[in-house]
This record gives sequence, C-alpha cells and structure tokens, in this order.
Amino acid sequence: MSTQTDTSSNALTAKTFEGDLRRYLRGLGGLLVFLLVWWVGAMTTQPSYLVPGPLDSVRAFIDLFATSTAIVVPILGSSLVLPTGLAHLAQTLFHYVPGLLLGATCGIGLGLAMGWNGAFDDWLRPLVRVLRPIPPLAWIVFAIVWFGIHHTGAAFIVFVGAFWINFYGAYGGVEGVSTELTDAASTLGVERDLSMLKLVALPSAAPQVLTGFRTSIGRCWMIVVGAELFGAPGVGYEIINASNNLAMATSVAYMFLISLAFLCMDVGFRLLERRVLAWR
Amino acid sequence: MALSTDSSTDRDSREKITIQNVSRSYESTQALDDVSFSVSEGEFCCVVGPSGCGKTTLLRAIAGLDDPDGGSILVGGDPVTGPGLDRGMVFQEYALFPWRTVRGNIRFGLDRPACDCPDCEGRVRELIDLVGLDGFEDAYPKELSGGMKQRVGIARALAPDPEILLMDEPFGSVDARTRDRLHAELLDIWTQTGQTVVFVTHDIDEAVTLADRVIVMNADPGTVQSTFSIDLEHPRERTARDFVDHVAQIRDELGSPVDTNH
Repeated sequence: MSTQTDTSSNALTAKTFEGDLRRYLRGLGGLLVFLLVWWVGAMTTQPSYLVPGPLDSVRAFIDLFATSTAIVVPILGSSLVLPTGLAHLAQTLFHYVPGLLLGATCGIGLGLAMGWNGAFDDWLRPLVRVLRPIPPLAWIVFAIVWFGIHHTGAAFIVFVGAFWINFYGAYGGVEGVSTELTDAASTLGVERDLSMLKLVALPSAAPQVLTGFRTSIGRCWMIVVGAELFGAPGVGYEIINASNNLAMATSVAYMFLISLAFLCMDVGFRLLERRVLAWR
Repeated sequence: MALSTDSSTDRDSREKITIQNVSRSYESTQALDDVSFSVSEGEFCCVVGPSGCGKTTLLRAIAGLDDPDGGSILVGGDPVTGPGLDRGMVFQEYALFPWRTVRGNIRFGLDRPACDCPDCEGRVRELIDLVGLDGFEDAYPKELSGGMKQRVGIARALAPDPEILLMDEPFGSVDARTRDRLHAELLDIWTQTGQTVVFVTHDIDEAVTLADRVIVMNADPGTVQSTFSIDLEHPRERTARDFVDHVAQIRDELGSPVDTNH
C-alpha cells in the first residue's frame, strides 16, 4: 500500500519535473527564435546602425565594463571611479532610489490615512481624482523650473510615479480590511483607532501594499529613463547620448543594463515578499 | 487553571446578562423587536431560531459591536456601551488574524491593553493545551482545518479570562464528527471555567446537547417565542428519550421544520 503511494507520488514529481523542463525548453526556443530574427534583421538592414546586431550589442555591453568613468556622488560631493556601465547605473540610482523610497513612503502614508479615515477620504478624494491622471512625466516642466534637471529634478519625477502606485496599493488594502477582523480585535481589547490601524489594518493590507511597491519598482524604471532623456545623468541619458553618436549598439547595451537592474530588484523584492507574507 | 472561580458559590442565582426590551431594525427588517430575557451567572444559554431572527444581532449587541435602537443590555448590572474584555466572542467564520500564528492569535487579547498576567507565555501554553493544539503553536491559520481554527478562536476568546463567552454559530462550518468532539470539549472548558455562555445556533440538536436553557426566537420581527430548561445530565445521549422529547418540543415551538439538515 505504502509503496504504491510512493510510486504514485514519484510519478507525480516526475510529471511536474517534465512539465518544468518542457516550459524551460519552450522559453529557450522563444529566445533563440527572437535572436535569429534579430540577427537576420540586422544583417539585411542598411545602413547598419538602424538595427545593431546581437553580437555587436554584446560586444558593446562588455565594453561598458572595460572602461572606467568618474562620477560625482551627490550630497557628499566626492568623486567615484567605476566601470562605465556601473557608473551610469549608479547615477541613475542616485535619483531613482530616493525618489522611489520617498514616493512610496508618502504614497503609503496618504493611502492608509485616506483608506482608514472616512472624513479625510471625503476631503481629499476629489483632489486625488484630479491629480491622479496626470502622467508623472508631465511634471517634468516643474522639475526643471523648481530643481533643475539633475538628480533632484529626476528624483521628483520618480517620486510622483512611486507616490500614486503606492497610494492605491495602501488605499485599497486598508479599505478591504474585513470588519470581522476589526470586530474580533475590538472584543479583544483594541480600543484606539491607531492601535486598530497598526494591529489589524496594516498587517491585513500588507499584501496589497507590497504588491503596490513591487509594481512601482518597475514603473519607476520607465519614469526614470523618461526623465533622463531630458538630460538628467544616468543610463537613460546614455541611451540617447550613444544614439546621438549613432553608436546604436551601445544604446542597446544600456537597454540591457536597465533590464538586468530591474530583474535583480524584482527578484530580490519577490523573495522578500515571500518571506514577509509567509502566512498567506 | 486560574480562571474565574468566584462564580462557584451560587451559580444560577445572580443575573449576569439582562436584556430589556431591546429593538433593532435595519432598513427593511425588524431584526429585534422588544426582546427581553436574562442569563444567570455561570449558565450555558443557547439561542435558537431560523436565519433572520436576529440572534446574531442580539449576540453582537451583548458584545457591544452593535448598538440597538431601543431598550438596554446590562452585563453584571452595568449597561453595555461598547466591546470589553469581560466578554469574549467566538465568531462563525473564526475571524482569526491570518498573519499571526496560533500562539500569536491566542496572545492577542493578553497584550491589550497590557497583560497583567504574571506569565503570559505560560498562559498561552496552558490555553493551547486546553484546546488540544499542542504541536501547532507556530502554525498559521491557513494550515489548520476548520475544527482546529475554531479551537484557536475559542482559546483566543478565553485568553483574557472573560466572565462571559459569546459564541455565534461557532461550529456551523465544521463536519459532524468534529462538531461532536468540540461540543464535549466546550462543555469541559465551561465546567472548568464556570463562565456564562451565550451560544447562538440554528441547530436544535446542538442547543439541546449543550444548554442549561434554550431561548427560542422567531423571525421577522425577531422576538423571543419561549424558553426551555434542559435539565439533563452531561454528557447527553442524542438517542435518549428525554433528549428526543426536548428536541421535538422545540421543533414544534418553531412551527414549520425550520432546520432539519443536520
């Protein structure tokens, strides 16, 4: 009897393994087909800068790490020498990270406050309705006149983008807190509104808050590149800078660098999320 | 078990909960219409009735979670103005905090406002032992079966040592065999702690199995139709003559076969 169960569970494991393998092979196939189409496209297009080929792009990517560039660390003012690719990535992070963190903090804060407090919600909801649809990049004009298009200005744009995504994550999360749980907490001695927020609403909204933050990680990469196209230093600026010199392969290399940076952050955050939300 | 022992002297004499002319209406329904009855200290009181008879509303009003339109509810002589640690509540759908472990859920009420128990960890262990969840201290609610979840729900409600335990169809979502076992365990706990219990159910068998007294309610408007004293020794045998008679009597009282699906 038990051996039978063993074999069937083994068979099940083998089956899922087979399924995984098939998925990976298909994924690999898709990539190869894309590379082939890209390669053929690059071969047959003239002039050659219109579509830089895969090999040229890889070469350009490697070149990003073969040379060094000095950058200035904001606030500290000291200069830092890094491989060129990392140097420009660091420049981007100098405004991406503060913009993201500050925007997320403020967005989550306002989302919690509005989702939790009805009066506050009444006061601000129309304002939110009006301001929310404005694309973050539209604020670039104010970023420029208020801060100048450098780190602060770019950080401001990222801030706006991170703000709204995190705002809605927190707002929806707190609004969806079940009254059963708040009832249970009140019968167990939770009296003050703030305690209820901390002990029930916040943990209960955590999945949505974290999803909001993870979404904003990706969205802010789009926004940051947009801001840099206007002249803030970083990988986005390097994309347009390289293309101005018709070094399209280098532009592609920076595009890959962004993709890689995003993937690392996304995977890292997913791992963190899985640990924090182990109870789900 | 250092739970409330002060009630051991005169269990049935003092009124613990007094419900006077309580009314509560929602938009189109009269959930409670002039409901009055009282529950003695240490009594196990079941409220039965069809769905929509306001029995849950009544329980929530005693808990302080719902504010009646008229009448008054006294607990230990004082009017109910809101929820309090003197009244523990067990919910139909458990209402466990999914982000807290079994231990964390049971501990919740001990930390608010601040626990005055000399050994909170010990108290939690004691409760886990009481409801038979040893070995599951660090499990999250999603890992537990319905019966186990409700054991946590009961332990969590018992933790602050309430004088009154309010139970809203607590075993409605567990299978019949588990329910029988939980009935026996609940009666054990009740005997040990001497708490006053108000237990809402739509299952007449369940009410007759557990209660000292059964309050029968009617729907729309929600009124108290009659009360029955169940003077049978525990454990009660469902096939015993007296038991069957009580069930039949209550079923007659409710008129049509309101609930036969057990």
